[in-house]
Parts: sequence; C-alpha cells; structure tokens
Amino acid sequence: MRRHSRRIFNICYRFTGNRTEAEDLSQDVFLRVYRTLGSYRSAHGGFATWATSVTRNLLIDHYRRTKRDRITDSLDDKMPVVENKESAGRRPDEQALLGELSMQVQSALTRLSPELREAVILRDLQQLEYAEIQTVLAVPEGTVKSRINRGRIELARILQQMGVRPA
Amino acid sequence: MTWTCDLVEARLSDYLEGLLQGPERAEFEAHANSCADCAPLVASVRSLVVEMHSMDELETPPRLVYSILDKTLGPRETVTGWQGFLNVIRGLATPKFAYGAASVMATLIIILGASGFSLRKSKLADLRPAAIYQTADRGVHRVGAACVKYVSDLRVVYEIQSRLRQDENNLQTKPEELLPKPSPEKIPGQTDEYKPSQPRQQNRANEVSRQLEMLAVELPMLSERSVR
Repeated sequence: MRRHSRRIFNICYRFTGNRTEAEDLSQDVFLRVYRTLGSYRSAHGGFATWATSVTRNLLIDHYRRTKRDRITDSLDDKMPVVENKESAGRRPDEQALLGELSMQVQSALTRLSPELREAVILRDLQQLEYAEIQTVLAVPEGTVKSRINRGRIELARILQQMGVRPA
Repeated sequence: MTWTCDLVEARLSDYLEGLLQGPERAEFEAHANSCADCAPLVASVRSLVVEMHSMDELETPPRLVYSILDKTLGPRETVTGWQGFLNVIRGLATPKFAYGAASVMATLIIILGASGFSLRKSKLADLRPAAIYQTADRGVHRVGAACVKYVSDLRVVYEIQSRLRQDENNLQTKPEELLPKPSPEKIPGQTDEYKPSQPRQQNRANEVSRQLEMLAVELPMLSERSVR
C-alpha cells in the first residue's frame, strides 16, 4: 500500500502542484479504488496500471470541477503584484522539497493543458511504457506519442518564457 | 524527403528516444543542426527530458497512509472507561505475554534468592546496596566453603575405597602374607603401631577402613533388625 500510495501521491502532486490537494486527492483515489475493487479485471493491465487509470480519471474530474475557481484566480493574477509569481503560494517546505530547477519544471507543468500534462507526467516522471499510458489514457498509441511530444515542446517553451534554461 | 521545421518538431520525441534509424536520423540531424529555430528547440527539449528523468519521487506525508486507512476502513474506534480497561487486560492475557512475565519473575526470584533477600523477614535496611553486597558476599563464601568441604570429603572416601580395594586384592593374591610374622625388633620408647614412613592421612584412612569393615560386619544384623 505504501508503494502505491507514494506513486499515486506523486502523480497527484505533479498534476496539481499543491501538496494539500495532492494528499486529499490521494485519499479520494484510494477510496474509489476500495469501492470499485470488484470491477478490476486483469484485462485492464496490472493493478498499478488500473490504479493509475483511476487516479487519472479522478484528476480530470477534479480539474473540471475546479476550473471556475482557476479562471477567477487567473483574473486575479493579471492584477499587478509585487511578489514573484513562481514562488507565490508555495510553502517553504515545498520549496525545500524540490530542487530549484525541479521546482521550475513543476511550476511549468501546471501551466500545460491537462491532456498534455498527464501524458508528460506518465512518460517522463512516472516513466511508464507507451502501452501502459495507452491503457491509462484510453487513447490510441499515435495520440499518446503526439501528446507526449507536444507536451515536451510546450513545456520547454514555457520554461524559456520563464527565463529558465535547463543545462 | 525534405525535412521541414514542422516535421522535425513532430518527430522530435522519436529522435530523442532513438526511434529514428538510418537515413531518417541523418536527415533529421542535418536539418536540426543547420536550422536556427530547430537547433535550440532540440537542445532544450533534450535537456528538459534528462532533467525530468532525474527528478526524484517525493516522499509521501507520514499521515497519508493513516488518513487513507481511516477513509477506506472507517475511523478507528477509541474505547474508554471499563471497556477500554477490559481491552487492555484482554491484550495482556496472551500466551506470549504470560511466558514473558513468568520468565521475568523466575529471574527475579533467582537473583533475590542468590543475594540473600528474604521476603518473610524483609526490612527496608536490607535493600541498601551495602547490605545487599554483604549478604551476597557472605552467601558466596558460605557456598565456597561448602564446596571445599564436599571435595575434601570425596577425596577421603576415594582414598578409603582405594585402600579397601587394595587390601582385598592382597588377600586374594598373597594369603600367606596374612600369616603371623615374627615381631620385629622393638625400639625402646616406640609403640607397635608407630610407622614413621606413612603419612598421617594414610593412618586416618586405615582407621576409617577398619571402622567400615566393622560396620560392614554389623550391617547385616542392622538390616535384619530393620526388617523385623
């Protein structure tokens, strides 16, 4: 359980960029897994792949549910602020947790569209195979490859806009 | 096939993951190295992928597992009052705990017994370290003396037995030696039993062996009496 909880927490954190939200979502994922355990079939791939699918579905639900809040937040963001945008809202313990560059990559990830974000997270941070990502996202392999490629290019451009150049 | 910037961008991940082979790879590299837009893009995406692969997984918060268990299996019940006390007692009444408690008690009793502490005549002064040390020291000396006495008694008995065995052997082999011999020359001032060459302990052994022989003669009578 600890192994799965760590992986699920990491996916949630990379997707949301918020530790508290990631904790709450991880709990919700396990609750959903617990309730729908009867629907698990080995045809879904391994248990880990199935749990990742549940996580992904819950993250997309959460993203849609909180979209309105984010629109309001983004309007607030357009107001002139003195503090640095990247470090705003990030707690010191979170900053210590991540390295400088990792923190900027994490920050850039949250600006990606959810489709590209989830593909990049599963491939480059969770290091899943294309076939597993295909099962999790329930899309053809060509779409998976295309999303990963576009996600990486988009992420590199966002980092460039932020003035970050990975060595 | 002419490689455009759009095509390089579309096949960038394939190139980075080694899926482009042979002429395709050469043409991709030829365009990427010569194009002012594509070269920095390829370099930045390559270093970004390397950076993401080297990013460590975060540790889960310690309370997360308990929160998950609470959420899935329900909150743990905290029982108070008599029910809680009974639960504690029930927890203690396990074979493992009973064996552990018995072994601890046995060890304590042995240590207290060895140190001379008596529960019946216990006084507060007995618990002073000096008093415990004195009692233990006295006990050790007493045990040591008893051991020495026991060993020396064993030694005497062994000597008696060996002497008896020797005498029996002499009786069987040389009966003529038991015949009365002419008395040796008597030295004035010395008794008949004086033997300067024998040690005192052997004299004592001879004496004990004589007594044992007498007892052996008497023993059938004693045993007959006890039967009656």
